[in-house]
Amino acid sequence: MTEALPDTQQGESISAPMQGMPMVVIAQLVKQFGKLRAVDNLSMTINAGETYGLIGPNGSGKTTLIRMLVGLMKPTSGTISIMGEHVPSPKIAPHIGYMTQLSALYLDLTAKENMQFFCRIYGLHGKEQNQRISEMLERVELADRANDVVGTFSGGMKQRLSLACALVHHPRLAFLDEPTVGVDPELRRSFWDYFEQLNNEGVTLIVSTHHLDEASRCTRLGLMRSGKLLAQDTPHELLRRSGKENMEDAFLYFARQQEAQK
Amino acid sequence: MNIARIRALAGRIIRQLLRDKRTLALLFIAPLVVMSLLYLVLTNTSSVHTLALVLPTGIESDRVNALIDKLLPGQDKLKTINISTNAIDSTLNNGDADAAIVFPPDFTQQLAQGQKPHVQIVLEGSDPTVASAMYDASNALVHQLGVAIAAIRTQELQGGQGTPPFISNDIPFTIDGPRYLHGGPQYTFNDSLAPVFIGVFSFFFVFVLTSVAFLRERSQGTIERVIVSPLTHAELVMGYVCGFVLFAFVQSLLILLFIILVLRVHYSGNLALVFLVSALLTIGSVNLGIFLSTFAHNEFQIVQFVPLVLGIQVFLSGIFWPIAQLPAALRPISYILPLTYANDALRGVMLKNSNIGDISVQLTALLIFALLMIVLSSLTMRRQIA
Repeated sequence: MTEALPDTQQGESISAPMQGMPMVVIAQLVKQFGKLRAVDNLSMTINAGETYGLIGPNGSGKTTLIRMLVGLMKPTSGTISIMGEHVPSPKIAPHIGYMTQLSALYLDLTAKENMQFFCRIYGLHGKEQNQRISEMLERVELADRANDVVGTFSGGMKQRLSLACALVHHPRLAFLDEPTVGVDPELRRSFWDYFEQLNNEGVTLIVSTHHLDEASRCTRLGLMRSGKLLAQDTPHELLRRSGKENMEDAFLYFARQQEAQK
Repeated sequence: MNIARIRALAGRIIRQLLRDKRTLALLFIAPLVVMSLLYLVLTNTSSVHTLALVLPTGIESDRVNALIDKLLPGQDKLKTINISTNAIDSTLNNGDADAAIVFPPDFTQQLAQGQKPHVQIVLEGSDPTVASAMYDASNALVHQLGVAIAAIRTQELQGGQGTPPFISNDIPFTIDGPRYLHGGPQYTFNDSLAPVFIGVFSFFFVFVLTSVAFLRERSQGTIERVIVSPLTHAELVMGYVCGFVLFAFVQSLLILLFIILVLRVHYSGNLALVFLVSALLTIGSVNLGIFLSTFAHNEFQIVQFVPLVLGIQVFLSGIFWPIAQLPAALRPISYILPLTYANDALRGVMLKNSNIGDISVQLTALLIFALLMIVLSSLTMRRQIA
């Protein structure tokens, strides 16, 4: 079951899976950096319309996994398919949004000019572009700084603009690598409200975070540690299975289980 | 290739550069300052030079000599002495004169018989700057004389009545030369240094600006966003080329205008060909910048590439010293440098009014360089993100 996506890439159309059907399928994925195995035999399926949280400490392989998923890095072995296409594929590029850990922005351009650039390389022009830009700037509370040069922004503001740039082209699937770093608690909540809204519109989100308190806002979680998937389930189920009160304790529980298996 | 995406990228690069006022100033003003300095150093116009004349001695020579006398006061900073034929070399060697104009003794008779006598210009030549200035002065003087004689002859043919039906601009004698006592036709600012600046400056600035811009894309992480987007590698390279070609063109035009209007260098050529050379060089330069930026971790390391990329070319591409005069061991290096071909082509177009056929070899070489750099930059594109 699929739904046709608007044709933004000349002549190349692609169908996005319907709600609940597999969006991202990862099989036996391995990434080796010299002696370090950053991602270790990872298999998972992420369904359309989910907010999938990748939870784990720094260095657990979250960013490496995301970089392989968006096609920036070649896996050592294993396969990734997104919307039924093997990664990397030019067919899926127009439908993917990517927010890097570093707020990747042009510091010498204004907030609006940054967004205009990303709109234009995704084929968003004219009135639709202007409308979308003001909508997104409003959403991340930067409307009043639209014409200021990004170099003058604080870390949190850059992070917010970075999110706006990643989502400006209505992606069907968005990879957000630590989107809430440096964002104050109030705005963090508003981010997650927005993620939920996107979810309801059928957008699939893959969000990495090491804020364990954000985990409960995801539909499903993958707990990662040393490149391995410790456990994968809904937040509720993970708490139930571990018999713990909060996600932090649950994470430690699964981590100890992994140690014990060695 | 999607034109809209290339335009988006080129537009962004243009906007970023326009915002950076200091770089803009460097891009457009620095070449003019450097050229002015070189011009002042290389054309020393302050000293008075001496021109030796070997005047005709035959029948009716007085008329010609009187004509020459009339033309002489118009020459600035030029002293003249009269010498005899056998004193030419010694006078020049002694430094009593810097150049000589030699008329045959029977100049007037030959003219009267309708023959074309030969007038020889001899240059001392040990100082190329002086030689070039003296050659220009002697040449101008002889030309004026020729025009004056032609006018008189036309009048005489009409019997001195009324206005002649036409005034012939044909000079009734042949100007030989220049013969050099020492040295040879050296490269001086006036004749052949000016055109190469178009190539040198656009190559240098485009290279530095691209490598820094690309390095920033990498360190800011924006390159990852761009690569994840539908923008392809080819579009990325094209976008960069289009953005920088615009600035290279503006710079070339400025240099060209400066050469013609301020330095008053002789220029005869096809502007479109100058831009074609500039465009090919820019494509190569952008891609060389992308390629080398892969191996730099910061702006300082980019600066380290400058002597390697530009220094070698300044010395070996025939800017100051003709390639034929270089040691044989260095000549093969000259022939793999893009500026060698760009300089040749620009000199050809601007000084000799070469057409596209005359510089086809140079254009082909520049095209090969551009294609080779595109291949190299695409090969390293993967490394840009890893």
